[in-house]
Amino acid sequence: MDYLVLTLGIATVLFACGVLLTRDNLYASLYMSVTLILIATIYTVYSIQSVFVLITFIFVGAIGIITIALAATYRFIPARKISVYWLIPIAIVTAIVAYTYYLYSGQIGIVFIKEHSFASFPTEYLLMVVFLVSLMALLMLSAIKLVRGEGS
Amino acid sequence: MIWFLLVVSAVVLFIGYLTAISSKDLIRLLISLELMFGSVFLALIPLFTTLPSSAFGVAVITIFTSSSELLILIIAIMLIDKEFRTISVETISSGGDRVD
Repeated sequence: MDYLVLTLGIATVLFACGVLLTRDNLYASLYMSVTLILIATIYTVYSIQSVFVLITFIFVGAIGIITIALAATYRFIPARKISVYWLIPIAIVTAIVAYTYYLYSGQIGIVFIKEHSFASFPTEYLLMVVFLVSLMALLMLSAIKLVRGEGS
Repeated sequence: MIWFLLVVSAVVLFIGYLTAISSKDLIRLLISLELMFGSVFLALIPLFTTLPSSAFGVAVITIFTSSSELLILIIAIMLIDKEFRTISVETISSGGDRVD
């Protein structure tokens, strides 16, 4: 656990240095988002999952993505087109989600939200973290793809 | 490992300060502020070892307050761009309201 915290701390400092050293606002905002995700990950090492969810959803998911969008907007004129290549990962994720729903639909059922319902929700925490980080990476990669496409 | 977390938090805060000082546009300033809030979140972890429920309350309040603050700053950047057609830090020559 100590080595994990050590590694995460060093990675946090390195990505923060990236914010300082890069001259491009878009990459600075991306480095900042990664830094915040790493800080949130340190919370998960100490089993404080609720704060991880709050930081990732609210701080990185809302504010961080708005900052990335703002940094990208002030670089180039945004284009409104959908790349065909991005449809492939979307289709894969949709297929996985659909299969998971199909697999567990008989077991879960529809329940009303009651007190401590999240504690008894039948899902794996690690899987949720992996999906959340994948979502963030996908959003950041799409921003880079958009900017690079506009630049060329 | 508490000391290490506090050192990392201090380093990230220092980098945030340096970024704020060296920023030439408002977006870079916004990014530096978010970095500083990140270091605050990191500094909160030791509080969870002694007062977990109070620390969680402080964390929730900090996250929501800082998010609201940053959203207001984002709106301010958009308004400044609409008014002055630039987001340079030089545009902001003074702050606060005028008292008559």
